[in-house]
Amino acid sequence: MTGEGSVGKPIPPEDTVRKVTGTALYTYDWDLPGTLHAKLVTSTVPHARVVSINLDRAKAVPGVVAVLTGKDMPFRVGMYAGDRDLLAVEKVRWAGHPVALVVAEGPEAAERASELVDVEYESLPAVFDPVRAMGADAPIIHERMEEYKHASVFYPVPGTNMANRFRLVHGDVEKGFEQSDEIIEDEFRISHVSHGYLETQNVVAQAFRDGTFEIWTSAQSPFIVRQIVSEALKVPYNRVTIRVPFVGGGFGGKAGLQWEALVALASKAVGYRPVKLVLSRKENFASSASREGVVANVKAGFTRDGKCVAYKVRFVLDAGAYADYTVNVSRAMGYSAEGVYEVPNVHCESLAVYTNKIPTTAMRGFGYAESNWVLEQVFERAAKKLGMDSAKIRRVNLLRPGESHTATGEKVREDVGDPRKVLQTVLEAIDWEGKAEPASQPWKVRARGFALCVKGPSQPPNASSSAIVKFNEDSTIDLVLGTGNFGQGTTTAISQIVADQFGVPVERVRVDPTRDTGKSAYTWQTVGSRGLFTDGVAAMRACDDAKDQILDLASQVMRLPKSELEVADDAVKAKGRPWLTIPLRDLVFGYVYPNGNTVGGPVIGRGHFTSSLNTFLDPQTGQGVPTIFHTFGGTAVDIELDLVTGAIEVLKAVQVFDVGKAINPLLLKMQLDGGFIMGMSIALFEKIKFDEQGWVTNPNFTSYYIARMKDVPKDFEARYVETPQFDGPMGARGIGEMSMISVASAISNAVFRTVGVKLNNLPMNPEEVWRAISEQKPELLAKAMESFGRIEAAVKARQ
Amino acid sequence: MSFGSPYVTLPDFTYHRPKSLDEVLALLKEHGDEAKLMGGGVGLIAFMKERLMSPTHVIDVKEVAELGQVRQVPGEGLRIGAAVSIAELLEGGDLKTEQAVLREALARVADPMIRRRATLVGNLCEAIPWVDSPPALMALDASVEVAGPEGRRSLLVSDFIRGPVDIDLGPNEMVTEVVVPESKGRRSAFEKFTGGSEFSLASVAVSVSNGGKKRAAKLVYGAVNSTPVRCPEAERLIEDGLSPTKVRRAAETASEKVECLDDVLATASYRKHLIKVITTQVLWRMM
Amino acid sequence: MREITVRVNGRLSRRTIKDNELLLDFLRDRLEVRSVKAACWRGECGLCTVKLDSHLVKSCLVLAVEADGKEVKTVEGISPEGELSPIQKAFVSHGAAQCGFCTPAWVLATHELLQEKPHPTQADLVEATSGLVCRCGTYNQIREAVAEVSGTTARPRHMKESLARA
Repeated sequence: MTGEGSVGKPIPPEDTVRKVTGTALYTYDWDLPGTLHAKLVTSTVPHARVVSINLDRAKAVPGVVAVLTGKDMPFRVGMYAGDRDLLAVEKVRWAGHPVALVVAEGPEAAERASELVDVEYESLPAVFDPVRAMGADAPIIHERMEEYKHASVFYPVPGTNMANRFRLVHGDVEKGFEQSDEIIEDEFRISHVSHGYLETQNVVAQAFRDGTFEIWTSAQSPFIVRQIVSEALKVPYNRVTIRVPFVGGGFGGKAGLQWEALVALASKAVGYRPVKLVLSRKENFASSASREGVVANVKAGFTRDGKCVAYKVRFVLDAGAYADYTVNVSRAMGYSAEGVYEVPNVHCESLAVYTNKIPTTAMRGFGYAESNWVLEQVFERAAKKLGMDSAKIRRVNLLRPGESHTATGEKVREDVGDPRKVLQTVLEAIDWEGKAEPASQPWKVRARGFALCVKGPSQPPNASSSAIVKFNEDSTIDLVLGTGNFGQGTTTAISQIVADQFGVPVERVRVDPTRDTGKSAYTWQTVGSRGLFTDGVAAMRACDDAKDQILDLASQVMRLPKSELEVADDAVKAKGRPWLTIPLRDLVFGYVYPNGNTVGGPVIGRGHFTSSLNTFLDPQTGQGVPTIFHTFGGTAVDIELDLVTGAIEVLKAVQVFDVGKAINPLLLKMQLDGGFIMGMSIALFEKIKFDEQGWVTNPNFTSYYIARMKDVPKDFEARYVETPQFDGPMGARGIGEMSMISVASAISNAVFRTVGVKLNNLPMNPEEVWRAISEQKPELLAKAMESFGRIEAAVKARQ
Repeated sequence: MSFGSPYVTLPDFTYHRPKSLDEVLALLKEHGDEAKLMGGGVGLIAFMKERLMSPTHVIDVKEVAELGQVRQVPGEGLRIGAAVSIAELLEGGDLKTEQAVLREALARVADPMIRRRATLVGNLCEAIPWVDSPPALMALDASVEVAGPEGRRSLLVSDFIRGPVDIDLGPNEMVTEVVVPESKGRRSAFEKFTGGSEFSLASVAVSVSNGGKKRAAKLVYGAVNSTPVRCPEAERLIEDGLSPTKVRRAAETASEKVECLDDVLATASYRKHLIKVITTQVLWRMM
Repeated sequence: MREITVRVNGRLSRRTIKDNELLLDFLRDRLEVRSVKAACWRGECGLCTVKLDSHLVKSCLVLAVEADGKEVKTVEGISPEGELSPIQKAFVSHGAAQCGFCTPAWVLATHELLQEKPHPTQADLVEATSGLVCRCGTYNQIREAVAEVSGTTARPRHMKESLARA
């Protein structure tokens, strides 16, 4: 292929014009003629038997068409754990659990009536702490767990609150401890986090009398939604159409089932009229799923020369009332325990535990962010204990491509990335060897720190993707994909790849923004940073298929063997004889001879991707190949810590990732900066708080604070390493989730390395940091307060 | 207390847009308990969405000319009408050095869009513990003018706020103005800490008066308890001027004496520490 | 119920509304101005930002009846038909939108800021957008877009300094 090509260029995403002009339409903007509006009625108690539900007062509200309860849908649904009900059946499991759905003419009547549903509860003992919930005396939240349809790779323990028990063992960890010179042991905690996608969960659904359902939803993965809805409604998959227009953020929180099946049933119940349900922000916090909380206990052994020889960790996930997706998070948290390091002796247990709190689900980082929070801090502490530089201890333990094995026993191939180069680049970008800048005030501390990470997509071995390349009459290309686009820019990147396959400008390729299970190409899900890789490879294969058809035709027309022809520069050319050429537009809709005879027809290429390398993991040892690629990376920060208030300000953010191939540096930069900001926000501010009844007490953006413009670092530096992956699309790997994994650890490491204060709990909000300083280094705080109170300093502060 | 909206629509009500104070009072007399006054609507609309308030009549006072003024009345002070938005008040330039504490507090209320709508009186009447204007007004000995069927009355802001979301105002009454008394030579300042929240975790309003021989200092803490709290012990320490030692002692005393509460934003012990920090900060600036 | 007349993006509209209707819902549901979004419904996120006469407000905290006789501007009204305003162009070239749900509000807010102050400082930008949130974290790109329009930087930073091959 000649010409410059578009891969590697910073091309803005094709749909941004719609976004900046306000013409991108989301499910929230969708109304069908005659749409009714639905409102949830939610539980006021954390754990109780539903004795009765009286609908009389609600039904008397003018405009109310129907009120549904769990009796109308007495079945369980789900993807991995199969533990969910659509509305509470028999009992409620958290304060906020939906017990009824009111459907009315307009949102106002629906809300009015929802206030008038009378539910009588008989309270049951509740449990809110995941460690307590594992105790023998804890109330059981799911009594009939053995009846649930778990995917085969999960290990629930019926009769307990354990929804999944993942184990990973290699080597002999106790023997490893015997060989150790230093032991690091500690407990880490991670708070519940809200995805905070700005478009709240919402659905428009209509049932039809012919037995079909059409559903518009703000979802990441239309095909999984279709699967779950079809199974729940007991209809063939092709009778359910899931349509996804623009999506106002997902971050994992819209990956599984949301309200699609419920609203579809509601549409049927009201005589096949369309029904729309839009969650308020409070409902989104209190009645839908967020990222789980974690309690992690770790013990790690290091030899004098810095080698980690034993790593033992137990993750207890506070999975809340439903763990349909969280069982897989617990699995990923477990097998990612060892991160970018090779540790000979590992023992890891990762438990998803039910509590009477909000349900939990996947979130950007998917267990890896949580295990990273523990692992990277352990390494930082070991470095300090051993008197070793933070970089050196990592070099000693880093996975060596071509030689090492991951925690799950997978051989690390040479083409999967270069962790050593990533580390080196991180250090250079933050000027690791250089002198630290002075702090702006005597009571503040300037600190630099970093953390490394690795992640791959957590998907079942048979997860697949497909793509269709359709030529149009004017030789433009409709690229039909299944992967969603809610800001990652994946479809732009794949368009660039496709354009280059034919040597055409990228503008010639378009991906429709709406996904439709009846029309889009199949892809398992849009999660785990898999889209560019899996759907990109599928698209390249679709291009190959189309090229093959084009060359077949060209061979016939040009009377040359196929082997002597190639597709390049928007044409078919004879190799070595560039004057023998036919433009693509004369071939892709059939070739017309001068007398009108026509051969060939519209060219439609198709391709798919399914990894043949993934395996299930051994139930006892967790050994196997869980992911299709690993993206190595790291984050470094330069921060200023205010010792007096505990507030941390990030001044500079460095992100380095081995992306294989930077298909589009602008999209890459957007992900690396955006991922940093989300990671920083979770690191410094975000915490869903609960009262003693498990109620979310901060279901709003005032007290659940998300980073704003004022919190953003002045300096961003993003660098990328390119170690091409042989089976990736043009060598590329995914990046979306990875970009936030090591942010919190980097910040915490900066603090520990500089002032020796351990920050074990997320978020590191000012109060948490202040408490840690005052407990661990009271003399440091006293000294800071002393200088803070001095006049000279005050004068300086004013300048 | 404002914890989030389960609902996105408002309860049914009839909207009134009177043009004069008499009309407002007549409407209040007619609808009393059933009515709520609306200035910027920021608090009212949020409260109505949460069903913390479900008035059947909403009386919008924005077009009442008498309430839309900021007046400098010699011998009395600054009179700020109930319909004056925070942005208008700040832009009007009436808050001079003497009222710096109020200006500083208001300049940092929420964001410019909220300040454009929200009124000082509305902010005050919400009486949410984390709101910043009440401590600032208390530091200035401000009072509110209340009009009702029984005529008019005036009371200090410190008496007006009875508890969290609880004010001394009858169902037929309304606050027409906030009055900030004149005080020559008074200096004042405001400080708050909001780390990881849009609301203050702790705030402090300070004023030091130097009217002839009579010196007086006020230190009022917001957001640390259910209502703003003064600290007389610390005030006494700074009455006669400030010095590095006095600043430190005042900060320590306030931290020790001011009672703090745990809530969704912070614990009492952190608030006690923050009191020390913000008192130090604010008093520096007064030196 | 009452009739109100509002000029929205230059077009006069007369509609019968309920007294308790919010300006947000009036714009979206009655006039189908769907660029105006909501994410919190209580004035925290700023996605419902519109210009009411001469000032930006959060339309989830404004009654529709209050807009009677007034002028409302949304992102649809900031550029001539078929064209992009300078800030819209800069948002596109800098990649200042990811999911895009908050983008109309950010475009409107930064457009108004630049109208008022053609060369805003960082502090001006922070202050003017303090009522807005973006969960995808496009702040750095928005900052670059504003800087470009105000003439502080000549070209997208991602092209050179801040993203580099290792």
